[in-house]
Amino acid sequence: MSKISPDFVPQLLAGMVVNFEIAAIALLIGLAVGGVLTLAKLAGGVRGAVATPLIGLMRAAPTFVVMFFLLNIIPSDATLFGVHVAPSGIMTVALSLVPYAAAYVADNGGEALRQLRDGSPLGALLFLPNVTRAFFVLVMSSSAGAAIGVPEGIAVILREAELMPTLGDKMVLFAIGILCFGVTLQAGFALMRLLQRHLGRLALRTREG
Amino acid sequence: MALRRVLFIVFALFLVSAGLPVRAETPDAALAKLIEEARAAAAVPGACEQPGLDRLVRIFCDDKIRVGVREYYPLFGTREGQVRLGYDVDVAREIAKHLGVEPAFTRVNAASRIPLLADDKIDLTIATMGHNTQRDGQVRFIRPHYYRSETIIVGPKGLNIREWPDIASRTICVSIGNGSNAQIVSHNARLMLFDEAGVLPDRLRDETCVLAAQDDSFFDYYFTDPAFAKAYDRKFGFAQLPWGMAVALTGSDRLARALDLMSQIFHRDGIFIEVAKHNRIGLGFLELQRAVWNRPDCNTDAGSSNPACVLPALSAVLEPTPFAGQVTAFETWLQTHTGISVQFPMFKTMPAWQLFTAGIANSLVLVVGALGATLLFAMVLGALQSAHSLLLRWPARALTIVLQSSPVVLTLVISAAVALALFPYSSAVAIGAAIVALGLMNGANAGQAIGEAMHTLRTERGGPPVPTVELFGRAVSRSATQIVSFLVNAAKGTPIASFIGAPELLSALTDITSFASGRASTYSLLLVFYVCVVMVVVWLCDKLRIWLERRQMVTA
Repeated sequence: MSKISPDFVPQLLAGMVVNFEIAAIALLIGLAVGGVLTLAKLAGGVRGAVATPLIGLMRAAPTFVVMFFLLNIIPSDATLFGVHVAPSGIMTVALSLVPYAAAYVADNGGEALRQLRDGSPLGALLFLPNVTRAFFVLVMSSSAGAAIGVPEGIAVILREAELMPTLGDKMVLFAIGILCFGVTLQAGFALMRLLQRHLGRLALRTREG
Repeated sequence: MALRRVLFIVFALFLVSAGLPVRAETPDAALAKLIEEARAAAAVPGACEQPGLDRLVRIFCDDKIRVGVREYYPLFGTREGQVRLGYDVDVAREIAKHLGVEPAFTRVNAASRIPLLADDKIDLTIATMGHNTQRDGQVRFIRPHYYRSETIIVGPKGLNIREWPDIASRTICVSIGNGSNAQIVSHNARLMLFDEAGVLPDRLRDETCVLAAQDDSFFDYYFTDPAFAKAYDRKFGFAQLPWGMAVALTGSDRLARALDLMSQIFHRDGIFIEVAKHNRIGLGFLELQRAVWNRPDCNTDAGSSNPACVLPALSAVLEPTPFAGQVTAFETWLQTHTGISVQFPMFKTMPAWQLFTAGIANSLVLVVGALGATLLFAMVLGALQSAHSLLLRWPARALTIVLQSSPVVLTLVISAAVALALFPYSSAVAIGAAIVALGLMNGANAGQAIGEAMHTLRTERGGPPVPTVELFGRAVSRSATQIVSFLVNAAKGTPIASFIGAPELLSALTDITSFASGRASTYSLLLVFYVCVVMVVVWLCDKLRIWLERRQMVTA
């Protein structure tokens, strides 16, 4: 077995921080865009007529293609009112995840608002664990950044794997990657379940009170 | 009788001498004669004021030669204050010295080096210019060529890459528009595109790129840095491109001829090699050329027009499609009537068109394959997770957890690595590996949904009876929404197959834009294509969902 670089694990962890960073940016923008779309959809009329197909389009847009689209459509020296606006690699990946995040928020936000109107605050509160789930999906999806040179976790693994001579050596590295991402993901889902239970108890207490 | 014998011998000698080839003039003699004539022409009173003067004569009139050189091309043409450095600059100095005049330098770049010649702002350009057939119609190239670059693959020293098969399925960082990108693509490598070549060494250093391809003349500079040279080496070279000095097409006949002869002499006598050594650039080509120009058949005044001695220009013209004219006309019409400038490079040249059509076909195969694989793995893993036996159930659950824990890119790479260990690399293998990876990822989740549906059905029936085909069918119907959602997800995920070199549409268009213009319109078209494909899949999946749900209601 070839020796794994001593820097590998610290670099992998640093790369995973980038994955979280990308997911956080995408979710924040997604919440804003998705929130507006939810309100527009629920308002009906012209706004609803515009928002519904827009959400459909966002749902259908493949993240990987959107990423390459953004990367190639925005010139690297783009400026707006004299301000440099060309996104960095990290920002490009985050923006490519926004259509998914916004469509997800619009779908679940609409459902939450409906539950609230129907007098079920517990149902509405399910929005929070759903958003947490979306966050971890975004963390996993942000690995697409490896394709455009973003130094996220998978890029670190693949870079190290390139130097490994045998399939067995590469598989060990991949297993480390799956373990790191898997532990994070399962911890996230555990957190989500805890949150769900806590909110359930809270809603029950509110109802009883 | 004696006289007749003498006359016969003289006649015979005459015949023999007439039959022998005329001894060729040396390039040195031809050059000296040409310079002498031009100097004499310049010395005639009032001659220098005459219009239409050949540039060689005017050089002697002005006592200077105006040379266009680059200022930001390390080792070839740079400027530090008033000091100009580099191989091109020193070649210009040698030429001026040979002519006995002063060099007057003008800054040129890739865009201005030809127009400045045509506008008579410079007499000669020596500016890292590759000689291709397209440029032959714009300037007169000096033969023999004064240097030759080639594209080289550079990577970490520990990486064993020696020839084309070693780069299949690997990612290579390149700059957009590099003429050799198409050749890299044809050897099944993936490209990571950058706007500027200047960023490539940094991307190697920060390990964004494992391999980078660019002109050897570009990397020569970085290899002078001991740290860079210690960490990286040249893997192999290809796409040799001769570099030519050039003069204007008109009014430069004598100057061009003089420079042809001078270039021959510089190669033969090793002057180019000395200048190259001084500037620490590669000598391989120049050493080969020195041997060529010392050959008797080349070391003549006609050597520069002898095809056995000079190198041909690189053929840079891509075969147009039969409808390229109509596409160009449509682009022009669109710009005229709407002001929108779009380009469709995929419709204009045959290599691009072939990549494009193959990309669409492969994308559709991928989508259909990913949908089929997702359904298949969903059924198999769903059945295993619904099984009575722990030996079947737990491995299936473990596999599902592993697949859920692995980011999509990593799963794809693992699938490709296993496939490449079993089969030699080909497009079909890459597509197959992508189909399996996408099917497994989405099928595992859908299979889990089927397993959970089975569990609820068995609970509803008051216990854990042995699973039956009928019960499994109901579980599939009950998890219809989940199955459909993962089928759509599989279709949406197909473009990511380009990451492992599957030649689908994203991959094809990335390859096209690496050697053609029109990135914005190309990627817009790509987005529209995939959104349409996914919408069709959503529509079909909705039909499937409705059918499954109706089936559930009937069997309930």
